[in-house]
Amino acid sequence: MRNRFTLAAAPALVCAALITLTSSASAQQHDPATPLAVASKVALRGEANGIAVREMRIVRKNDILVVQADMANMGRTDRTVFYRFKWLDNVGNQVGDGESWKQLSVLGLGQQTVKSVAPTGAAVDLRLEMNVER
Amino acid sequence: MTKNRIQRSALILAFAASTLALSACQNLSSPTVRFDRQVNYGDAKAVELVTNEFGSTDLQMIAEKMTGGLLETGIFQGRPTVTISTVKNKTSEYIDTTNVMSSIQTALVKSGKVRFVRSINEMQQGVDELQRQNQSGLYKQGTTAKVGQMTAAKYTMEGELTSIVKQNNSTKDVYYKFTLKLFDVQEGTIEWQDEKEIRKTSKR
Repeated sequence: MRNRFTLAAAPALVCAALITLTSSASAQQHDPATPLAVASKVALRGEANGIAVREMRIVRKNDILVVQADMANMGRTDRTVFYRFKWLDNVGNQVGDGESWKQLSVLGLGQQTVKSVAPTGAAVDLRLEMNVER
Repeated sequence: MTKNRIQRSALILAFAASTLALSACQNLSSPTVRFDRQVNYGDAKAVELVTNEFGSTDLQMIAEKMTGGLLETGIFQGRPTVTISTVKNKTSEYIDTTNVMSSIQTALVKSGKVRFVRSINEMQQGVDELQRQNQSGLYKQGTTAKVGQMTAAKYTMEGELTSIVKQNNSTKDVYYKFTLKLFDVQEGTIEWQDEKEIRKTSKR
């Protein structure tokens, strides 16, 4: 009887485990070298794999927000980063159609600066969307 | 007797839970009509790495860099008028370079910082419409657009795309450079200029 019970409950357990795995995989795991204030502006897909966003500078030039972010590879292995900036207005809505994704190669222990300019003066905030290929 | 009943209800419950769980894991059908061939819609903004010929990501990156550069400089203070001139394709590939200019123009118009006037290629349609309104005798007087009231462009945009291709047995390297210039029409001076470099390398 107990065997039957275990057999019947197995699919439920597998499904629950799958759901748990998926949710843990989508959690953001920023590199420890990414400052907390910067991490709040970074939407990371998956793991950082040694890529830290060490600094993000935002300035308004001629009514348009301009951002520069420094991506540092904390490991010795070269990494490929896919990233784009998402611009937000004062209520948090996305401004414009969204940027295209860009591919960036960051050499081991190297640093690259990425830059973007808001599409309109309505943009007041931003998110750096990124994922790092292992 | 009661023990048996409890066991039976536990079994039923477990079956019900597993059925529910299985149905949750099962794929639902999607509202599509498709036959044998696998066709899917993808992300138009995704990085396209099919070949190292000029592609959608190159076009998008060029347009974004040029638009960003123009908006950042503040040259468009006072919403000046701009027109698009030629875009030369100096690469060995067939590339619709007007597409690049079109993307730049769209982004700039949406920024609200600049006004575009008809380019040489778009002028004939404008002239035809003016003639239709003023010479066909079909329209009420006072509602027709007047001839000779078009606003001329203060700036004109000129661009060119060049490439350097190198390859050996195993590697092909393509370097693209897009240069955009903004000329003051009256003065003939270059008021702004920027370029976007792209390197694409493929291995066999």
